[in-house]
Amino acid sequence: MNLGDCRLLYVLACIGLALIIVSPTLAMFVRLPGSESFSELWILGPGHMAEGYPFNVGANEAYKIYLGVGNHMGGSEYYVVYVKLRNQTGSLPDNVNETPSSLPPLFEYRFFVRDQETGERQVLFSFGDVSFDGNTSRVQTLTLNGLSINVNESAAWDQTNSDFYYQLFFELWLYNAALSGFQYHNRFVGIRLNMTIPFQNPK
Amino acid sequence: MLKRNYALACMLALTLVFALRLNVCFAFDQSQAQAAVANADGGLASAYVAVVEAEQVGGNVTQLVASLQVAGGLLDDAHDAYRLGDYDAAYSSASNCSSDAFGIASQAANLKVQAEQARSNALFFTVALSSVVLSVFFVLSLLGWRYLKNRYEKRVLGLRPELR
Repeated sequence: MNLGDCRLLYVLACIGLALIIVSPTLAMFVRLPGSESFSELWILGPGHMAEGYPFNVGANEAYKIYLGVGNHMGGSEYYVVYVKLRNQTGSLPDNVNETPSSLPPLFEYRFFVRDQETGERQVLFSFGDVSFDGNTSRVQTLTLNGLSINVNESAAWDQTNSDFYYQLFFELWLYNAALSGFQYHNRFVGIRLNMTIPFQNPK
Repeated sequence: MLKRNYALACMLALTLVFALRLNVCFAFDQSQAQAAVANADGGLASAYVAVVEAEQVGGNVTQLVASLQVAGGLLDDAHDAYRLGDYDAAYSSASNCSSDAFGIASQAANLKVQAEQARSNALFFTVALSSVVLSVFFVLSLLGWRYLKNRYEKRVLGLRPELR
């Protein structure tokens, strides 16, 4: 190794060490791209597990599920989860076009979640004024966390699945400071419900 | 003197009763409740933006996010009450939410100023320390190079054949 090679090696080593020395300062100015940002939305059953979700539901019986939101967006976020109820033909959110369901929200949950943290709420619901007329069932009221809402939703008997199909679903919306409003965040979860006729003891 | 005090106390008591009664009887209509809810919506969003700004400059916003969650619960209550047509409850919850949001925004603004100051101090300290260390390193590297160069030359000179 000649003197020129030694000098080159020495200069490179010095530059490397100098970069290490100034790295704390550089870190204050240079922001490296973070990992992929996304949000989570989930529902858990009454046992706080992904099982035991209510399916066969009846009038005036209370059911419990847990609704959770996870934030991996890189900063604190402001979410609103809209609760909606639909039958077989009711509008669902469109994942491809990223549009929400056109149904009106019945209830809403606000979540302020810091990055890498989660928020969770207990959802207690029951149905009231349920009536059956031939192949049609009708739900007049939905009580969510103690608040009764007039839903007036009906469902026809589903021959394929043998149920009166209803779906309670939750849409995730995210606050966009640039637009000063909420935007649908293209995430929704729901539970399928079968409205059952109460058993009447024949005498 | 005693009579005068008694009369004053009676007047105070009557005023208090009247004020309380007024408060109880006072009802809000739909437009007032709607305006209060919209105001609370905007106030909470502004408070959230202020908290995010404080967070972006390095402020610890754990407590403020928890406060936002509480205020958000009030706004949920206001929206639910409004949907159910309970405009008094909607107005009350929305007003409480607005008040909380205003406090949060104010705290966030203070935190942002403090965080910016702390960040500026930290930046100055880091830049100053890096500059000093870099200067010392530069001088040492020059001295090191001189030492290495001398050593190299001595070694090369030591390889020359000597005549006797």
